[in-house]
Amino acid sequence: MTQGIAGAALRRDLTYIKPTKRRLTEYEAVTLHQQWETGGFDKGGHFIVPADGRAPWRAESTALAHPNWFAFRDPAQLWQRPYVRLQGEQERAIERMTEDAVQSGAFRDIDRRWLDDYVAGHYRVWSFFENGLFRAFAPAQREALSDCLGNVLCFQAFDQMRHAQAIVSLQVAIEDQIEGFSDAGAKQRWIEEAAYQSLRKLCEEVIATSDWCEVAVATNLVVLPLVAEVAVSGLIRKHAPLHGDTLTPFIAMTAERDRRRNLAWTQELVRMVTAKDVASASANRTTLQSWIGKWQPRALAAVDGLRPIAAAMPAGAADVTALTQAALARQSQALAEVGLAPT
Amino acid sequence: MQHIIETHDRVKDFDWNFSYVDQPVRYPTKYKIPKRTKDPFRHLIRDYCAMEQEKDDRQYGAMTDVMARAGLPGKTSRRWMEIMKLVLPVTGFGEYCAIKSTGQLVDTVDNAELRQGYMAQMIDEIRHTNQVAYLTRYLAKHAHDPEGFANGIALRSKSIQCRAGRAALQGFFACDPIEGSINLQAVVETAFTNPLFVAMTEVAASNGDEATPTVFLSIQSDESRHMANGYATLAAVVSEEDNLPHLQADFDRAFWRQHNFFDPLLSAVYDYWQEERSSSYLEKWAEWVDHDWAGAYIRKLEPFGLKQPRWFDEARERMYWVGHTAAMVVFAGWPLMFWRHDPLTAKDFDWFEKKYPGWYAHFGKWWEDYARMADPSSGMFPLQLMEHLPPLCRVCHMPAVFPRLDNCTMRVRLIDGKKHAFCSAACEHIFREEPQRYLGSPTLFEEFDGWDMADFVQQNGFLRADGKTLIGQPHLKEDRMWTIDDIRALKYEIKDPLHKLPVMQEAA
Repeated sequence: MTQGIAGAALRRDLTYIKPTKRRLTEYEAVTLHQQWETGGFDKGGHFIVPADGRAPWRAESTALAHPNWFAFRDPAQLWQRPYVRLQGEQERAIERMTEDAVQSGAFRDIDRRWLDDYVAGHYRVWSFFENGLFRAFAPAQREALSDCLGNVLCFQAFDQMRHAQAIVSLQVAIEDQIEGFSDAGAKQRWIEEAAYQSLRKLCEEVIATSDWCEVAVATNLVVLPLVAEVAVSGLIRKHAPLHGDTLTPFIAMTAERDRRRNLAWTQELVRMVTAKDVASASANRTTLQSWIGKWQPRALAAVDGLRPIAAAMPAGAADVTALTQAALARQSQALAEVGLAPT
Repeated sequence: MQHIIETHDRVKDFDWNFSYVDQPVRYPTKYKIPKRTKDPFRHLIRDYCAMEQEKDDRQYGAMTDVMARAGLPGKTSRRWMEIMKLVLPVTGFGEYCAIKSTGQLVDTVDNAELRQGYMAQMIDEIRHTNQVAYLTRYLAKHAHDPEGFANGIALRSKSIQCRAGRAALQGFFACDPIEGSINLQAVVETAFTNPLFVAMTEVAASNGDEATPTVFLSIQSDESRHMANGYATLAAVVSEEDNLPHLQADFDRAFWRQHNFFDPLLSAVYDYWQEERSSSYLEKWAEWVDHDWAGAYIRKLEPFGLKQPRWFDEARERMYWVGHTAAMVVFAGWPLMFWRHDPLTAKDFDWFEKKYPGWYAHFGKWWEDYARMADPSSGMFPLQLMEHLPPLCRVCHMPAVFPRLDNCTMRVRLIDGKKHAFCSAACEHIFREEPQRYLGSPTLFEEFDGWDMADFVQQNGFLRADGKTLIGQPHLKEDRMWTIDDIRALKYEIKDPLHKLPVMQEAA
């Protein structure tokens, strides 16, 4: 506060946000209380509702309960400017490495079967899964009961679409360099090939989930730690260099960076709703554990379906069992950090 | 460029028909939406991020490096700066509602190409929400009087104008997603963001406010893509003949709801808080809304069967007076506001009579009286001169006083045993179509019926840090500011005018 008008002290910063630390951060200042909180922070009811009479934001939109959804803080403290800067930097790095690969002729050093079956094939099929997650997170952000949670969901929607588009851009870049290279069959494989049907089923189930917290918990604590870990980190990132491909792992690693960030905020959400001072903490923990139990076998089935893909690697079969065990170990640790277990 | 086109073409092909679960209908729509349309901007994330990052660097860089160091916000016209305390929370909430609207559209519009456009808009709207909040904090730090910037968001739900804003802006998503798109993209972003983000920045700049144009013009640079989203959505929807009756009805309703909030508000802001005077809001409205939007944008859709919104001519007729009436109500109720109100000067009087011939005959005397009541020693404030508070419209939550108090179109009806005021035949029509959509909240005067105004001010946080002086003031003077004791001495009770007003019979 500073001294000012008529001798009264002047409030020189936003007074309506309770900072989590001593000072209000930029992230908190530009994020919080943009959403009206009817019956809480804000007076009055809903001045307009949809034709079915339901409130635009409803506590029932998630099975979890919390007295103040605005208490959430993104551990990455992201708002639009740093978020777009982060993704801009990642995309620029991909673009430069792609240019370098073109200039150096590096694409021509890559095993051709790897390019056709795993870059134009498996990795391109994965782009449909990423696009599906974008479709799940866009309505999840719409339903979120606070701005601070709506924003992280929105950023994740964008992340997933970024991954999908990066995979497609890679195909177009390689097509220019390698004659006959084409991703034309990927969509058909996504729709028809037996190896991908558990994955596609999982994707459709995530999109069909209407509980916005469940979308986050299922995706970030189960689906991506297991399925992306095996399908992309395991089969693509680890095996691409064995086939002379140094660019694709880099693209996959930018998605891993996003995945770590999304895991961290979801863990923070779990901590918030299971904190000792939250009345519904015990019920929330039961719900969270039931979600893990529901999604774990679906995710493992999707991983298991990929065995034929892993077996056909030109440089030798990938060990799906070992990759899955490693992913499970990492997931168990992430769950244990917030008091949950894999089954 | 060829890569972008190729990539975009493949991104359009991401959708598939579900085999394992039914696609949920989260946001029911009455519209049939064709699978194929055009996203004219070919949004790809790589280019989008580069473009937005550059814009962010320019905007935030200018604010932190040049303007703050030169102390520019503190040199802005004090009169003008005050009304930004209202403009910013309303604008920020509009942007926030737009995030939600685009989320619904991604889920509902089964068209991968349009989804690309909605996705970019979704992040744009977070951008705008953050930008407006950043500007609010920036002005709290640098403006001459930060009160109202520092705490306006906390006061919004007790503000007539912010509540009316919420009633209009939640129309972006508390509805059929296509109706939301019409409200957001086809009406507000195409008709009203130009007066808000372009025309208003001219006034801001001429009043020494460089920060607002820096932010608003950066926001507006994204809006052309949003207008294109709206146009692409409309073009998709009009291509199905069965959609036309719904579309026209939603279009009519969307235009009226948004006009009825934006035009009185923007007109009052624009005309009554300018100090260094330039054009009038009426002139800008004629250019941006009447000529460009109705004259060009809507005309382009006429071959498809879409007509000018039903109440457009009535809106045009009301435009001459609505801003003056809105300003009168805002100034009259100044203790209930979280910004200050500078009485008009002789220079202002001349400008109003020049821009709006006949203004003095209707409003001049009222403003002379207002100036006399600005000092607390007068022991009066303007609402006391009115027989009763203006009733608030059940649909738009605006005061039912338009176009002018002496010829307003207000009507009071008894519907299902409950009294409702409507500001216009249009709002009454909209209510009768779907009453369940507008019964979720009391109006401000219903909610605080029977409160002493001093209690309203004190208990709802309308006081400065000293706990005595009001944030809202009827003047800009540094001394002679009204305190809670002055307000308590008025003994003014907030009475819901609906108690007293008789039910009006409908014309046969």
